[in-house]
Amino acid sequence: MTQRPFTRRAFLAGSACTAASLRFAEKLFGAPDATAAKPNPALEKLAAVALHEAQKQGATYCDIRINRYRDQYCGYRLSPPRGGSGTDEVPFAGDSQSFGFGVRVIAKGQWGFAASPEVNEGEIARITREAVTVAKANSVLQAQPVLLAPTGQYIDRWVSPSEKDPFVVPMDEKLELIHGAALTVKKNPKVFSSYGSLFFHAEDKYFASSEGSSIQQYIVQVYPGLGGTAVDSQKNISRDRSYQVPPLSRGWEYVAMVNLGENASRIADELVEHLAAPPVKAGKKDLVLMPSHMCLTIHESIGHSTELDRALGYEANYAGTSFLTTDKMGKFRVGSDLMNIFGDRTSEYALSTVKYDDDGVKTTRFPIIEKGIFKHYQTIRDQAHLIGENESRGCCYADSWSSVPFQRMPNVSLAPAETSVTLDELIAGVEDGVLIEGTGSYSIDQQRYNFQFGGDAFWEIKGGKKRGMIAQVAYQAKTPDFWQACDGIGGRSLWQQYGFPNDGKGEPMQTNAMSHGCAPARFRQINVIQTD
Amino acid sequence: MLSKQEAKNLADKVIGYSKLPGCQVDVYSSEAVFIRFANNGITTSGYSLDHSVSISSTTEDKRHGNANVSELTDAALRAGVEQAEAMARISHPNPEDMPALGPQQYPEIENFDTFTGNSRGDALIGHVKGIIDAAQAKKLTAAGFVQRYATCSAVANKAGLFGYHQNTSADLSNTMRNADGSSSGWATQTSTTVRDLNGMDAGRIAADKCANGVGKKRLEPGKYTVILEPAAVSDLIGTLGYSMWARSAEQGQSFLSKKGDKPGQTLLGEKLFADCITLRSDPFNPKLPASPWGPSLLPNEKIAWIEKGVVKNLVYDRFWAEKAGKKPTPYPSNLVLEGQNHTLADLIQSADRAVLVTRFWYIRMLQPQTLQATGLTRDGVFLVENGKVTSPVMNFRWNESPVRVLQNTKMLAQPVATQGAEAGSSFAPALLATDFNFASISDAV
Repeated sequence: MTQRPFTRRAFLAGSACTAASLRFAEKLFGAPDATAAKPNPALEKLAAVALHEAQKQGATYCDIRINRYRDQYCGYRLSPPRGGSGTDEVPFAGDSQSFGFGVRVIAKGQWGFAASPEVNEGEIARITREAVTVAKANSVLQAQPVLLAPTGQYIDRWVSPSEKDPFVVPMDEKLELIHGAALTVKKNPKVFSSYGSLFFHAEDKYFASSEGSSIQQYIVQVYPGLGGTAVDSQKNISRDRSYQVPPLSRGWEYVAMVNLGENASRIADELVEHLAAPPVKAGKKDLVLMPSHMCLTIHESIGHSTELDRALGYEANYAGTSFLTTDKMGKFRVGSDLMNIFGDRTSEYALSTVKYDDDGVKTTRFPIIEKGIFKHYQTIRDQAHLIGENESRGCCYADSWSSVPFQRMPNVSLAPAETSVTLDELIAGVEDGVLIEGTGSYSIDQQRYNFQFGGDAFWEIKGGKKRGMIAQVAYQAKTPDFWQACDGIGGRSLWQQYGFPNDGKGEPMQTNAMSHGCAPARFRQINVIQTD
Repeated sequence: MLSKQEAKNLADKVIGYSKLPGCQVDVYSSEAVFIRFANNGITTSGYSLDHSVSISSTTEDKRHGNANVSELTDAALRAGVEQAEAMARISHPNPEDMPALGPQQYPEIENFDTFTGNSRGDALIGHVKGIIDAAQAKKLTAAGFVQRYATCSAVANKAGLFGYHQNTSADLSNTMRNADGSSSGWATQTSTTVRDLNGMDAGRIAADKCANGVGKKRLEPGKYTVILEPAAVSDLIGTLGYSMWARSAEQGQSFLSKKGDKPGQTLLGEKLFADCITLRSDPFNPKLPASPWGPSLLPNEKIAWIEKGVVKNLVYDRFWAEKAGKKPTPYPSNLVLEGQNHTLADLIQSADRAVLVTRFWYIRMLQPQTLQATGLTRDGVFLVENGKVTSPVMNFRWNESPVRVLQNTKMLAQPVATQGAEAGSSFAPALLATDFNFASISDAV
C-alpha cells in the first residue's frame, strides 16, 4: 500500500467529529439513540411553528417533515490503461448531506406543499404560508376533497437495527476492504475490468402533524457491490458478472458478513465462463429463479401492479396504471395456489422497514396475494376510503424533505413453502430449463402485463441437473400466465431479502428503496428468447 | 436562486477554507413550481427550493475526496471542506487525475427566461384547466404534470476558473384514458419558457389519440415499417447519442467498437448511416436546457456526432484524449437529430403499410455492442395503409437497436423540442424506418 501521510485518527479528528460539532443538522437530530423514547425537543419546537402557522392560515391539516439524508460512497474501478495490459486503479470516495424541511397542508379540501433547505423558524412560517397558498389556489380544480383515513397519535423515537453505524467507520478501512476484493476479481488475467463499491445511506427523519404525532426515526442502509467485465474483441462481445449481495438496512457489521473478498475469485471465474458460454436456444423452457433474480420479478410484476394509486389512475401519465383494477380485489387469480405475497414494512433488515410511514401511520404486515388470489392493495391515508377501507396500510414515503409524500412500494415478499423444499428438488424436476441468478435487463409495460426480464448469470438445466453457463437469455411472459406457471417454491431456509435503492415513480420523479424476500421458485414452460 | 455575485462569494469562501493544492466547488440552487393532476382534478402540487455545494479536494499526489453539503453557514462549509480534504488524504492517488483547468471562456447560453423564472402556480393552472376541459368534452379522464424549473449553477476552482449559468425549463405532459380503459392518448410539450406551453393544444392531441384508439386491431408481431413520432425518436437517439464514449469504443464495449483481431479499433470516421442522418449536440438551441460547461469543465460547444451518416466524433474526456493524442470533446450537452423538409403527414402519406407509434416506454439495454434494447409502445399505436391511418392497433414489445433504426431510416420530418419517457428533452423529428422488430404483443393500454 502507498505511504499515506494522514492516519485514521487524523481522519476522525478532522472530519466526523468536527462536522458533528459544526452542522446544525447534527445538533438537531443528535446521534442515533435506540434507547430514547421521545424526539428531540428542538425538532418539536421547530415543527410547532408550521403547525401553528397552518392553522392560522385556515388549513384543516398540516404535517411537517424535517429530514437530513447522508450518503457515503467509496470504491475502486480497476481497468487497463489505453492500449496497455496493466491495471489502473481508480479510487473514489465521497460524502453527501442534504438537510431541509417540507410542509404539507390541506386547505379548502386540497393538498398544498412547499419545501426549503433553510431550517429556521422564520422560513418554516413562510414556507407554511406558501403551502397554504398553493392548496387554496388549486382547490378550484379539485376532483374531490381530500379525505384522510384515521390514524393514531404517536410520540415516539425509533432506530433501525445496526450494531455499528457505518458512518463512523474510517474511510481508509472501507477503501482497503473494497480494494482487496476488486483486485482479486481483476487478478484473473481474462477479466478486463473490475469494480468494488460500498455505499451507505442514512435518513434522520422527523415528522409532526396537526393530529398530535411527533416521531423521530433513523434508518441506515448498506449497499456493497463487486463485479467485473470480460471482453472478447474478436467476437465483439462483452459479459458482466457481479456478486449478488442483498442490500439491507443494517450496520457496518453486515459488510463483514457478506465476505466480499472470499467471493471475489468465484465471481472472476464465473465472469470468464460467462464470456465463453454458448447462447441459449430459444423456446419454451422451465425456469428456476434464484432470490437475487426473483426480487425484481416480484417487484415489477406484483409490487407495482398492486399499488392503489396506479389502479386509481393517479400514475396514468408516468408510471402507468395496473391490470389489477379495483373490481378484481378479492377475486382475481394472479398465480397458482403456491403464491402468497405480502407487504411488510416491519420485516427486520428490509430496506423499506420503518416504524411509521410519512403519513405518521404505524407500519404493518398485510396480505397482498393469498393462494394466488389478489386480496389487498398498498395504500396510504388519502386513498383508503376510495376502496371502502378504514385505515392506511402505511405505504407513504417521500424520497426527500423537498418531495411530496405519496404511495410507495413497501417490502413486497413471496412467502416460502411451508415444507423444506430444497434447491436441488426444484432443479431435479426440470428436464430442459434455465437457472437465473441476479438482475439484468428488465422491462415491463405500463399496466404490468407484458414483461421481458434478463439476469446476471444463467445456467442450463438438463435432465434435472444444473449444467454449464449459457448466455444471451431473456424471458417474456404476461404476469398472470407467469405466476400461474409457478409449481415450486423453496423452503424457509432459502428465503432471502434482496432489494433496490432506486425505484422510480411519480412526477416529479422520486426514488424509493425496498426489499423483496423470497426463496428460489420454479416456473413451467416460459417463453425464453435469445438476445443479441 | 443565487445571483452570480452570491455564487462567486460562496465559492470563494469555500476555496478560502481549503488547505490542499486542489479544490473545486460546484454550487447549485433551484426553484420548482409544479402541479400534478389525475382523474380530471389536481392531486398534488408544490413549490420547492433547494441548494447544495459540492467540494472536491485534491492532494499534490492526486488523491481525491468529495463532500456535498446543503447547509451554507460558514461553519458547515468549513466542515465540508475539512471532510473532503480528510477523505482525499487517506485515499489513494488517482492515475486518471488531470491537472485543474485555469480560467475558461465559457459561451453565453441564452436559456433563462425571466417570466418563467418568476412564474408561480397561477401561470400553470390555466394549462391544467385546458387539458381537463379537453378531456371532459370527450368524456375522457386526464392525468398529467406541468412544471417550471429554474436553476443556477456555478463552478470555481483554486486555479482561477469560474463559471455561472442560469436556465429555466417548462414541461407539460398529459395522458387521456377512456371510461372502459380500452384506449389512451398522450401529448407532451417542453421548452425553456412557460410561454411555449399550451395546455389546450396538448389536451386536444391526447384526447384525439385516445378517441381514435378505440377498437384496437391485433397485429402479429414481426418486422414492420414504422413511423415514429418525435417523442419515440427522442428516446432512441438518447440511447445512441449518450453512448458515444471513445474509451468504451476502443475497449470493445460499444456499438462503435470494430470487430476483429486488432483491439482498440473503432468505427470513428466510417459511414454507418444514410446521408440523411446527422446527430448533433447544440448548447445554443434556445429551446433546450444546456450548460456552458460539461463534466470536464471545458466549454461546451456545438458538435456533430454523426454527420451525413458518418461517425464524426466520439466523446473523449480530458484523460482519454491525452492518452489518445486527441483534442477533448464535450459530453453531449443535448441531442439534436436533423430532419428533412417533410411533415408527419408526409411520412404517413408516403407509406403503403406502416405502424405509427406515439411514444415508447421502459427501454432497457440488452447488448452494448449492438445497442439492442427492449421496450414497449404506449398511448397511441396506429396502422397506416396506403398513405392513411386506418385503425388503432394493440401495443407491442420491441427488441431493436437504435443503430439499426437509423440505418433503416428512409424519411424524416422537421425536428421539434420533445421528450419521451427515458432520455430527457431533445430536438427530434418524426421518422420513417423499415424492418422495426416488434417481438410480442402487449395487452396493456
